[in-house]
Amino acid sequence: MTPAKLVFKNLTRRKGRFVFTLLGIVIGMGSFVTFMALGGSLKGQIEQESAALGANLVVTPKGSCAYEQVSILTGEQLPTTITAQEVEAIRSIPGMTAIPYLAERSAIDNRPVSVMGVLPAETLAFKGWKIASGSYFDSKDTQGAVLGSILAEQFGLAAGGEVRIRGEQIPVLGVLSETGGKDDLTVFLSLPVAQKLYQQKDNVSYVAVQVDKLDEVDLYAQKIQEKVSLGVVSDKQMLKQVLSIVGTVNVTLQLIAAVAILAAAFGIVNTMMTATYERKREIGILQAMGATRGGIFRLFLLESGVYGLLGGIGGAVLGTAASILAAPYIAQNAATSFVKGSQTSADPLMLIGAVLFSTLVAMVSGLYPAWKASNLSPVEAISYE
Amino acid sequence: MSDAIIRTKGLTKEYGRGATLTRALKGVDLEIPRGSFCCIVGPSGHGKSTLMHLIGGLDRPTSGSVEIDGQEMFQLGGKELAALRAKKIGFVFQFFNLLQSLTAAENIEIALMLAGVPEARQKARAKELLALVGLSEKAGSKPGQLSGGQQQRVAIARALANDPPVLLMDEPTGNLDSAAEAEVMAVLEDLNRKGKTVILVTHSSEIAARAGHLVRVRDGNIDRG
Repeated sequence: MTPAKLVFKNLTRRKGRFVFTLLGIVIGMGSFVTFMALGGSLKGQIEQESAALGANLVVTPKGSCAYEQVSILTGEQLPTTITAQEVEAIRSIPGMTAIPYLAERSAIDNRPVSVMGVLPAETLAFKGWKIASGSYFDSKDTQGAVLGSILAEQFGLAAGGEVRIRGEQIPVLGVLSETGGKDDLTVFLSLPVAQKLYQQKDNVSYVAVQVDKLDEVDLYAQKIQEKVSLGVVSDKQMLKQVLSIVGTVNVTLQLIAAVAILAAAFGIVNTMMTATYERKREIGILQAMGATRGGIFRLFLLESGVYGLLGGIGGAVLGTAASILAAPYIAQNAATSFVKGSQTSADPLMLIGAVLFSTLVAMVSGLYPAWKASNLSPVEAISYE
Repeated sequence: MSDAIIRTKGLTKEYGRGATLTRALKGVDLEIPRGSFCCIVGPSGHGKSTLMHLIGGLDRPTSGSVEIDGQEMFQLGGKELAALRAKKIGFVFQFFNLLQSLTAAENIEIALMLAGVPEARQKARAKELLALVGLSEKAGSKPGQLSGGQQQRVAIARALANDPPVLLMDEPTGNLDSAAEAEVMAVLEDLNRKGKTVILVTHSSEIAARAGHLVRVRDGNIDRG
């Protein structure tokens, strides 16, 4: 017999109670891990998208707020109010490259997809895309679509086929190599074709700007604002703002999970208190056999710690599974649309941290019951019937 | 009596305070000879169990002292007292002596574990002790599968786990039928012959009649005679 074996036997002697208490922890930790994994992947994806945008400055419609900036990174629909004149004015500023985009939505097989109107040659150079199969737009208003790699795979589309957008059959010209970002999930059209299809005249959603001299980025922002009355934001500002929104969402979700964990912790306190009363006499016998107060304290603390350890492991498994399963279903709004496919980041360090955290919470929960148990006087414990 | 294994001096125990003050023991001086078969008898509520708890170091006296095997008990801290209990005294109580979730052998192993015996040696010793009380074939049985007499024999085996010189028992046959009582008494008398000091708290005049050394407790005092 070892203390560990004794603890295990004590835990499993009331199997129903053991399972239900454990379930409380598993569910609490599971939701925590799910939110951590989804939040982590969201943050990573946003950083990746910001890099993939390849812009130092982004020109957005006047008065646009952080929500629109999220949309730029997620490919959601935007108010399309920047006119061709304004684009031309921006492009006339020397020392920088400005690329306009029209961001729209469509559906293939009833599933929403992003549609982007782009300037073919400029965007290709700007983004450094590679063509995986088929061809690319050969002029600035080629009637045809170029597809992101994952989107092509998901819907079984390839060069030579057709894709239906806004009721029109559009020939698929080619498929891009994987970029690792939302471009993989986007249908690209040449800007004039997209503007006509979505009846946007010659308007665009936003303009991505690359400056030649990075240390003069503020100066260029000023120059743009002198020429046009539009919002200008640097990629770093945008990233910061978007991440702060995502961060708030994450913290809120994690607080909800924390409440679940707190409830589970009281479940442990309850179970261990019951065990203390139930085993009063046994505690007395153990004391008569030479168990010290410290020994009894450790036995009970270890017992509650095991709840945390097992609950943490169960929660890590459940949370990882849930984040993978849930990801595609919560992919339909701006803040979470990054979590497309199966891209969740249940990083091993976070999982180990969750198990340790769970064990710690359980042991803290077990402190009071263990103290109660160890402070029974032997005579009181033995006289209890 | 020079060779006393237990010696108490002015042992006093009071419960409560003021108007509710109860004096359970009123300055008991007592010596129990080494190797004796001693019975503590007396009416209910006169201090038998209190005396037993103090002799066993399960409770601390209001004043007075208890010496076991030459060692003064209540000068020790909690940890040392627990260690002394494990080494010098084997306890058997009237009811529910065994941990219900463990087998007979495991119940004995716990006592060895608490004394720091490594797991490998625990099993062999538990087997040996069960053989000593004639229950070798019941090693894997849980308390619920054993008769009352068998349970008490397992409890005695466990009390012997660390080879203590003293066995201290509170009505060990109190809820057994006469056949089971005879079973248990046979084991105890055998152990006494082998040199253990057996101290029994009992109501039974039959058992008391078999004792080599009789201590009568009345109104918190020792009634000599």
